[in-house]
Parts: sequence; structure tokens; C-alpha cells
Amino acid sequence: MKKTKLGEFEELVLMTVVVLQEEAYGVEIKRELEDRLSETLSVGSIQSALKRMEEKGFLTSEFGEATQKRGGKRKRIYSATPYAHRVLKEMKDVRSQLWAAMPNVATS
Amino acid sequence: MSKEDNHIAPPRWSQRLLRLFLRAAYLEEIEGDIDEVFEDYLEQHSVNKAKRLYSREVLKALRPALIKRLINTQKFNYLSMLQHNLLITLRGFRRHKTTFLINLIGLSTGLAASLLIFLWVSDERSVDSFHEKDDQLYRIMTHFQLSDEVVTWDYVSGRFGRAMVTEFPEVENAVWIGNKTHLPSGVMNYDQGNYETSGLFGSTNFFDVLSYKLLSGSPSEVLTNSESVVVSESTALKIFGTVEAAVGKTISYQTRFFDQEFVVTGVFEAPPSNATLQFDAVVNYELLIKRDKYANEWNGGYSQTYIVLKEGTNITAFNTKIENFMDDKVNNERFTVFVQKYSDYYLNGEYNEGALVGGRIESVRLFTIVSILILVIASINFMNLSTAQASRKMKEIGVKKAIGANRITLTLQFMIESMLISLLALVLSALLVYLLLPQFNLIAEKNIALDLKQHLPMLFWTVLATGLLAGSYPAFYLSGFNPVAVLKGKVSNIKGEEFIRKGLVIVQFTLSIIFIIGVIVINQQIKFTQNKNLGYSRDNIVTFQSRGLKSEEVITFVDRLKNTPGVTSAGNMAGDFLWGDDSGSGYWTSKNPEHRQHLFKSPKMGYDVIETMGLKIIEGRAFNPEFMDNENRIILNESAVKLLGLENPLGTKINYGNSSSREIIGVVRDFQYGSLHQAVEPMIIRFRDWGRECIVKLQAGAELNTLQRIEELHKEFHPKYNFEATYLEDDYRALYKSEENESALSNYMAGIAIIISCLGLFGLAAFTAERRTKEIGIRKILGASEFTIVRLLTQAFTKTVIIAILLAIPLSYFFSESWLSNFAYSIDLKWWIFAVAGLSSLLIAWFTIGFQTFRASRINPAQCLRNE
Repeated sequence: MKKTKLGEFEELVLMTVVVLQEEAYGVEIKRELEDRLSETLSVGSIQSALKRMEEKGFLTSEFGEATQKRGGKRKRIYSATPYAHRVLKEMKDVRSQLWAAMPNVATS
Repeated sequence: MSKEDNHIAPPRWSQRLLRLFLRAAYLEEIEGDIDEVFEDYLEQHSVNKAKRLYSREVLKALRPALIKRLINTQKFNYLSMLQHNLLITLRGFRRHKTTFLINLIGLSTGLAASLLIFLWVSDERSVDSFHEKDDQLYRIMTHFQLSDEVVTWDYVSGRFGRAMVTEFPEVENAVWIGNKTHLPSGVMNYDQGNYETSGLFGSTNFFDVLSYKLLSGSPSEVLTNSESVVVSESTALKIFGTVEAAVGKTISYQTRFFDQEFVVTGVFEAPPSNATLQFDAVVNYELLIKRDKYANEWNGGYSQTYIVLKEGTNITAFNTKIENFMDDKVNNERFTVFVQKYSDYYLNGEYNEGALVGGRIESVRLFTIVSILILVIASINFMNLSTAQASRKMKEIGVKKAIGANRITLTLQFMIESMLISLLALVLSALLVYLLLPQFNLIAEKNIALDLKQHLPMLFWTVLATGLLAGSYPAFYLSGFNPVAVLKGKVSNIKGEEFIRKGLVIVQFTLSIIFIIGVIVINQQIKFTQNKNLGYSRDNIVTFQSRGLKSEEVITFVDRLKNTPGVTSAGNMAGDFLWGDDSGSGYWTSKNPEHRQHLFKSPKMGYDVIETMGLKIIEGRAFNPEFMDNENRIILNESAVKLLGLENPLGTKINYGNSSSREIIGVVRDFQYGSLHQAVEPMIIRFRDWGRECIVKLQAGAELNTLQRIEELHKEFHPKYNFEATYLEDDYRALYKSEENESALSNYMAGIAIIISCLGLFGLAAFTAERRTKEIGIRKILGASEFTIVRLLTQAFTKTVIIAILLAIPLSYFFSESWLSNFAYSIDLKWWIFAVAGLSSLLIAWFTIGFQTFRASRINPAQCLRNE
């Protein structure tokens, strides 16, 4: 695992983006994560994570359609880059290896 | 799903905030997101809550990753730029050591002086403001109409407080204490020990309303009856050893108001040093009433009363409401009642003819201005020296500009330079203040400590302000150079630059000269007060109080005193020559009953006081035991004779009140009674042979032995009291303590101002000499003598200093006049004061630049013209 620099929260957001596919825009990501984490998140926190990851090359984005609910403003749909998929996979591997190496005491 | 019909818009302010700060590229998306969330909220919550949540979302979205960059150049490398600027600055310091040192020394002394004054001022301002309800705590004051003047008193009847609470809904609470002529000071006895205690009469709720902290006892209960006493921590420790041991003990306590047993019900922490009320013990006000029923009558002014007003009370309206409060209580309309904020009184406590005229606040203002001016003088040095150095920096600026530095970054660089210097100066000045504070406290009679944590924000702002002030002119001036012209070697605008520089020097010197004149005037006035012929002699006279004696005992004591070897003469009186605050009205002649209203100074003297003090009797005689004088005989001073219009005063009877009359037995030459702030007023000297103020004239040469004998005698009569005799001369000096403090402080401040100004002049002279080396070289080759060169270089500076003198004289004349008008007797402003100040500043200036010009005039022309 090289210098991926993917924070924990960023990783969660990134995975949500992958999960949501075409629906992956700010508010939807927020709703999905709020459901899964059962805690309230702010638009700002999601957005800053998205912008950071876009800068680091984990995400690309393009404008989607506008809805009335958004006051006529367009959504921005995010999708993960191949690089992001690779990093996610790497992190998962590292984790499962660590899990496997863990003595079977503390869990359950 | 959506609410198309009645669309609710998100809060406008939050929306604006978002649009203002969010990066433009993100705005549409993020605003859309938040709008969408808002619609969700609207479905779940009330409109108001949704709006609130919207605002919260907006605030949370304003994070570094999402907001606009403050400066557009995104890739700008601040850190290395800063490093570079710092490096250049430090190198500059090292290369131009003189300039750097002048700047540093000037700024740090200036800052230190201002800091000290700031500490003093903030201490003055904090006096009496420690009470929890400071904002609501007011002091009741009255203007009292006399026939020819209005006097203002800070004391009222002892009934006042309670009546205020019942009659005015605005008054939450009232507390009253015995005024300063009714202080139960005396001796406490416990277990064979005698302890002198200065006490206070306080109303039952004294500790409840005022914030004197109780270490033991409950605030509302410690003063409930007239057998309870609350003592200070130090008194408790002195008498009982510990605070705990004190409570519940019975002690006896005797003063001129009472002599009885008390139970210690509580112990309080000593009043803070910035409290005007300082006391060791508090007893119930009822005790004063028991002793003197006037303490609870409407026409007795025995108490200082403080009230707590409800929050938000309109003071002006309230003052109008209570204005005539006393009228029906005393059946006349001579009282005008008003309130003044408790903590304001210390600084604003002087009234004249019913109008507030200031008080200590004047000194506070004066010194605040002085400290700012000193800072300005120090900043001017910095400005002058940096612009003077401009020629050295021109190339640097030209190159930087040519490479692409814009004006803002250059300005920033110079600002950093001046900030750095002022920061260094601050560290130095903090050190200086730390070292000087003990000395300063001694002069100012304060107990100020430098609390870094408390003063740090203030220090920070001072540095910022000084840095900005000192750095602004060079920063904007230097950064404005035209790079092409500068690099070609053409320097424009030198004339204008020099004009400004000279203007600044003029400002500096004008201020310094004003300071010098101010100092001379203050010192002269103080010398004048100390040497003025007061009409009585102060030499070898000691005074002390005889306390705790009955009136017959006082008479015996004074008789014994007169017969003590080494005592030339001795007398006793009630009243005090130096304070002169005893006066009374009710004297009138049948010819002119109007004088009844006049408030005469009216000390009560015993036998031999007039002789002891060396007062001159012009007509008649002084009080004399051979004539068996009594209180129906009086002595007038000349002013009183004049006021009453008496042609043959001796033997004349003067009506007193309604039924009695007093016979004039003598007339005494006018003498100063009270400080020189007061004019000599008409005086009626009454007779009282048991006054407790003893005045003793000692034979010169044997003072110490005599004093010892008096002390023994004192001990015999007053076993419980310490003998505290003071020389009248010393007391007289103490009377002008605040002026003397002011004068000491202003001496130092003027000195500092002059030193800083001269430092600047020194730097400028060095610079001019350096810049004109070539000119001087050529002049010398053409035959100019050294003297000619010195004169040439001195001329320019002389002109500026002379202009400064011309500016300073009228200004300082005006200021001095207004200061002197505070005194009833003051020096005249003589021309020589201004001449001395002007001449000395000119000499100082010449001396300062002398070294530089002299060195410049001795230049070897061959050397300075070699490389061209």
C-alpha cells in the first residue's frame, strides 16, 4: 500500500459513490451514509471529502440534470476512477490479511 | 412531493453568506445540495427549524476546502517568501547597525513608557469597580445651596437609604455607612492585648450588597445586631492567630462613639488595594444612632448612602425624579439630590457650583495623551530613518519590481520589517517594565503588577498599532517607486520626501518642547507651594492626635505638655490646618442678616494655638487663660472682618443662630487654612480647650529628646494608643503628594520624550552627513573650512528646531495656563520658562548632531572623492 492518503471518512464516501452508481451526487451520498452510519452528516463534510478526493484523483465528476427541488440547480454526479478501485481493493486486502492474522480471542 | 404552491425560500442572509464565500466553481452544486436538503427539512420540521438547520448547513459548508482563496495566486509560496523577507530584514539590521539600534532603543523606551502609563491608567480606572453590581451601584450625592455658592456633598442623612427603597420602585436595595468624619476608629482589647483598629459603621446589609468577601459568616447575618463586629482577616490573624479562632469570640472595642463588648460574627478579606474604602472592622450603623440621634435625622448628614438600581434604569430620568426628595423632609428647597455611579466618583469627584468639573480623571487623561504622544515620537523616528534609508533600498525595490513583485507584496515586506522591530522592541520594553515596575510603584504609590496573561492582548494590539503606524509611511512610500527610474539612477521626489521628514522632526520637537515647558511649570508650581508664606510657621512643629480621652483629661494632658522641657509652646484645637475642612454657617450681624447663609471656615482652637503657629494678631488678643475665655468669644480673620463689613471689630457682638451672640476679641491676619487649592476664606475662630489635635513647637536642637519625653507623656495618658506625631512640614508636603507624583512622572516622561527625539535626530544627522560626503569633499577642495562645513550641516537642523520652538510656545502657554487655573494661588508664567525650554532644546539638538557634523567636516576629500 503506497501513498494513497485516503482517510477513513473519505474511504466511506468513496465506497458510497461506487455503490450508488449513477445516483452518486452530494445529497444522495449523504442520505445513504446517514442511513448506514445512523448519524447526521452535513452537506459541507461530504462535499469537502468529495472535493479532496477529486483533487487526489480518486473521483471524476460531471454535471447531471437539474430538479425543481434543487431550485433549478444541477447535480454533480461523481464516479470512482480505476485508481480509486485499485486503492479500495488494496485497502480491503490489507484489512483481510490483518483480520486473518489476528488471534481468535477478542472478537465476538 | 414538492411544495409548488407556497414556496418557502431559505433564509436570505445564509444564502448570501454562501454565495459570498463559496468557491464559484462549487457554488451551483453545493447550493443545490443544500437547497435539496432544505426541502427535506421542510417536510420533516417546522419552517423555523428548517431555516435554522439550513443556516447550520451553510456554516458547516464554509470550510477551507470549499471557500474562496483569499489571494488569487493559488501557487504563491507564502512561506518561502516570508522567509526571504525575514532574511532581507535581518541582513538589513546587521548592515545598518546604528539605524537598527536607534530604532530599537527608541521604540522600546517609548513602548515601555507608554506601557507603564497604561498600567497606571488602567489601575486608576479599576478603582472601586470590583463590586459585583458595579453597573447598578450608585452613590447618593447632594448639592446644597448656600447664600453665595453651591457646595456638593457625598453624604446624606442616615434615613435616606431606607426611604429611597420604599419610595422609589427603581431602587432595589440601599446600603449606608458612616461618613468619613464618623469612623469608629479606636482600640480593640482581647486577652490583655491592645490593637488599634480603623472601623466603619455599616448598615445591616453591608456585606450583602457590597462585594467585600466574607471568609467566615453569612453576609446577611453578620451585622444583625449592635453587639456584632466583623473584622478583617489581618486583624483576626493579629488578635486571634487564625480566622477560625476569631469567630464567636468576645472582645471589647472602644472608640469615641462607644466602649463596649462585641462578638466577632465574621471575618472578611481585606478590601482590594483598588478600593477607596479601607477598613479593619465593621459594626452596625445603629450604634452610631445610639450615640448621636442626628445620625438618623433628616437634617443630619452622617452617612454615605449607596443604592442598587434596577437594571436598565434611566439615570437622567431617575435624577429628575429624586431631585426634590429632601424638600419636604427638611422643609426647605436647598438640597438637590442626585446619584452618581459608585465607581465613577473616584475619578470624577470634583464639583464646583453644582457642576461636575472633573477630578483625578484630568491626570488620567493627561497621561494617556502623553503616552500616546511618546509612542508617536518613537514611531516618527522609525518613519524618518526608514524613508531616509530609501536611497539604500531603491535598487532592491527596483530589481524586485522588475522581476514582478507588485506593490502589495512590497508593502507587506516593509510592514513585516516594522512589525518585527516593534515585536523586538516589545520584548525589550516588557523586560524594562518588569525591571522598572517596583520603582514606578514607589513613585506613583501604587501596587501594580505586570500580569502578562491579562495584558497580552493589549500588548499585541499596541505592537500591531505601532508597527502599522511606524511602517505605513515607508511601506507605501517606498513601494511606490517607479522601477525604471530607480534602476536608471534617477530619483524623483527627493524634495517632497525631505519636506515630510522635516515636518515630522518639527512635530517631534514641538512635542518635546511642550513637555519641557510643562515640566518646568509643574516643578515651579510645586516649589511655589512649598515655599509660599502661609501666614503661619511650619518649622519644628509636630502635630498628633490625643485619642480616647475625656475632655477634662485632654486639658490636663495639654497643660502637662506645655510644661515638658524642650517644648517651646503647645496648643490644642479641633480642625486641621492642612485640610481646613471644618466650616459652619449661622453667623450674622444685625446690619446684614444675609450672612447667616455664609459658610465660614470655623476651626475651634484652644489657648496658645495662635502663638504656637505664629499667627499674627492685628487687633485685640488671642485666647488667653487669664481672661477665662469661653465659647462665646471668637477671633476673626481679616477677610471675615471685610465680609461682615465691621469697622471696629473689637468688642462687637455677632449673632449666632437665632438666640445667641458671640463677642469678637481679636483679629488675626489672613493665613492659609487648608491646601493652596483653596483660597483664603473668611474665618471665625471659635474657642474649644479640649480639641484633640495637639500642636507642639519644639526647641530647635533638642527635637529628638523632646519627642521622647512627649511620647512618654503620651503613653501615660493614652496607654492603649501608639504615639504618631508628624512634622507639620512633612504633612504639608504630603498634601501636595498627587502633584508631586504627577511632577515626578512627568519629569520622567519628558526626559524619555526628549531622549527619543534626540535619538531620531542623531540618526538623521548621521544619514545626512553620509549622503553629503561628496558635496563636503568638493567644498573642502574649493577651500571651505571645517567651521563652514559644521555651520552648513547645522543650519538645516537649526531651522527645523526653531520652527518647533515657535510652534511649541503658544501651545504650551495655553496648556500651562489651564493647568495652573486649578490652583487658587499659582505662579505667573514668566518669559524665561519658555526661553529656557527653547534654548535648551536647541542646545540639545546641536549637541546631538554635533558629533556627526564634526566628523563629517573632518573628512579627507581625497578619500571620499576617490571612487567616481
